[in-house]
Amino acid sequence: SSVSLQILFYVNGIYYIFYFLATLAMIVYKSQVFSYPDSFLAPDLVLLFIMAILEALRLYLGSKGNLTEEEAPLGLSLVLTVGSALLCVYFLVWQTYVLKADVILSAVLLFTYGLESVLEIVAIAAFVS
Amino acid sequence: VAELCVCDLLVAQCDVNCCCDPDCSAAEFSLFTTCSVPVVTGDSRLCSQKAATYSLDVEANPPEMIFKLIDHINPNVFCIHTANYKQALSFTSPETPTSESFDQLLKQFGSATFSTEFESWSVNSDSQISSDANETYRYEYGVPIQTVDAFVRLPSPVVSSWCSDANPAGFLVNQATKCSRLVSVERCSTIQAVSMMFYINSSILAKWHEFVFQVNITVQSIVVQSLNGVRTLLDRNEVLRLPAILDELCINIVLGVSYHITYTEAGEIIEAAASFVLGAITKETLSIQQSFEISFMQVNTKPVPLSGNPGYVVGLPVRAGFRPQGYPSPLPLTDITSGIIQSTDKYGQLTILQSASNWDCLAAAGARAPVLFGYNMISGCKLRITAAMECQLLAQTLLDLLKGQNFPEYVASFGNSQAQDVLDWVPISHLHTSEQVKIYNIFQSSCQIPVSLEIEVQWTKYGSLVNPQARIVNVTATVTTAPLNQLPSGRERTVPITSSVVFTDISSPAEPGYKARPTINVKLPFDFFFPFV
Repeated sequence: SSVSLQILFYVNGIYYIFYFLATLAMIVYKSQVFSYPDSFLAPDLVLLFIMAILEALRLYLGSKGNLTEEEAPLGLSLVLTVGSALLCVYFLVWQTYVLKADVILSAVLLFTYGLESVLEIVAIAAFVS
Repeated sequence: VAELCVCDLLVAQCDVNCCCDPDCSAAEFSLFTTCSVPVVTGDSRLCSQKAATYSLDVEANPPEMIFKLIDHINPNVFCIHTANYKQALSFTSPETPTSESFDQLLKQFGSATFSTEFESWSVNSDSQISSDANETYRYEYGVPIQTVDAFVRLPSPVVSSWCSDANPAGFLVNQATKCSRLVSVERCSTIQAVSMMFYINSSILAKWHEFVFQVNITVQSIVVQSLNGVRTLLDRNEVLRLPAILDELCINIVLGVSYHITYTEAGEIIEAAASFVLGAITKETLSIQQSFEISFMQVNTKPVPLSGNPGYVVGLPVRAGFRPQGYPSPLPLTDITSGIIQSTDKYGQLTILQSASNWDCLAAAGARAPVLFGYNMISGCKLRITAAMECQLLAQTLLDLLKGQNFPEYVASFGNSQAQDVLDWVPISHLHTSEQVKIYNIFQSSCQIPVSLEIEVQWTKYGSLVNPQARIVNVTATVTTAPLNQLPSGRERTVPITSSVVFTDISSPAEPGYKARPTINVKLPFDFFFPFV
């Protein structure tokens, strides 16, 4: 099992909790300050919750696969990472209002995902062989 | 952002003080005083946006307009990086003012254009702020002249003829007032307004609202008026004379003050002088009449009294003068001409006979009345002709009487015509008519004496429709003569002699100018009739 991957999963979990709360707070702030009609607010909130669920699932599968040294959960986690990365890109670029803080948070998250996917591939390669 | 211009209201015409107007040329920019729209920008909550700033560089001569397209970065971490909702920033809910935010909201939204936070960091802010500061710190026409404690007072009668001390003197407003004041010998040293100190005590601020530079009022001259009205000018001027009781009289009471203020073109006062008339009062005097006057003079100029700027003002004397003959020079087509010479007495340039109290022409002391613009006047006298009078001498005397000693040759067409611009002056044309009635049988060829002088001044309205200026176009002096019949000796006859001034308005009715109607520009294409043409 890869120690660095495990550490990364742990840090990712904490960071993601922070990211989720910050993004939620900023959506609330945006809805107060800017004009945020419901038809735009609903998709953003829904996608944020989907991302949270996806993230929890992904981290659980990833750490389980890393600790039990099985490729299947790791592979599934990799696929889910792609999904999460897409959602992160949504929050980075296609959100209704992208604030500078959003950009910073999402960029860090995307970087973490990138690092994680690289380490997961390495771990899968190590476990297969 | 560079194409947006809020103040460009008139199509194809330059808007005043609109720096972003594309219809303005460089010459028009040099006439602007400020830019009404200093910056055009998008919503300031965006993280990075283009801003077009317009400013006037007043240091350069002529002033030029500086246009800069800069990027404004919002340092706030919550600035909008992207707004994918297109109508996002069009619907902002306005902030409800609270007692804390009221001042800031007033500053932002209170003026004619909403200001943004850009005002605090505009690029040329230093030069603009200093020029604004200079703008406000100068005196303008009519503004009360400020002193250290209040303002320069010119006591004047308000409702009745009693003096009110709260009348401020306005800058560049030449005034003369007279009013009465209650005095008594016992209280003469306590009444402030009869003592010289009251008038020269506080110093005048050189610039408006700026306490740094002050100008002291100097005493220019003191004239002492005795109880029977005799005035003497004192030699030593600088001594301040305060009211004092002397032998049941109170002396050194201020009877008149005349201020002379010297100012610069920039609206600063550099000198102030006051001339006093001091008098004395007795125990029986209950009130005195004080007269006050203030006059302004620009530094380094010789004041030529104008009768209007530029058009004549009704009531001011018509300016007139002579032109000395130029010497004909040997070169053809050049003539050394000089300007117009005027009398320094502004009321003595063009005058008519003033009726004397005893109506007798020859006993009149030569009093002349000035011709004031717009005032038709008529005056006259009666001439007693006896048989012994010689006609030619009488005719010459009457002509001198009617025209005065220095009847001018040229009249200024504008109230501010300069003496060196000869073309601005209108020559007086002279006409002679005769009252002679031709009786076919008897043709009396006796000599003629002038009996009336009529000066007709034709003037027109010149300039814009909303602010027409009076301009004198034509002046005609008509002398009417009548025959002097020989009288049998011992008899005498009285002949009325009149002189009059008439002002005629010959202005043509105003024609408003309209813009040309827009035409529809329809042209067929060049080869519309191709096969045939």
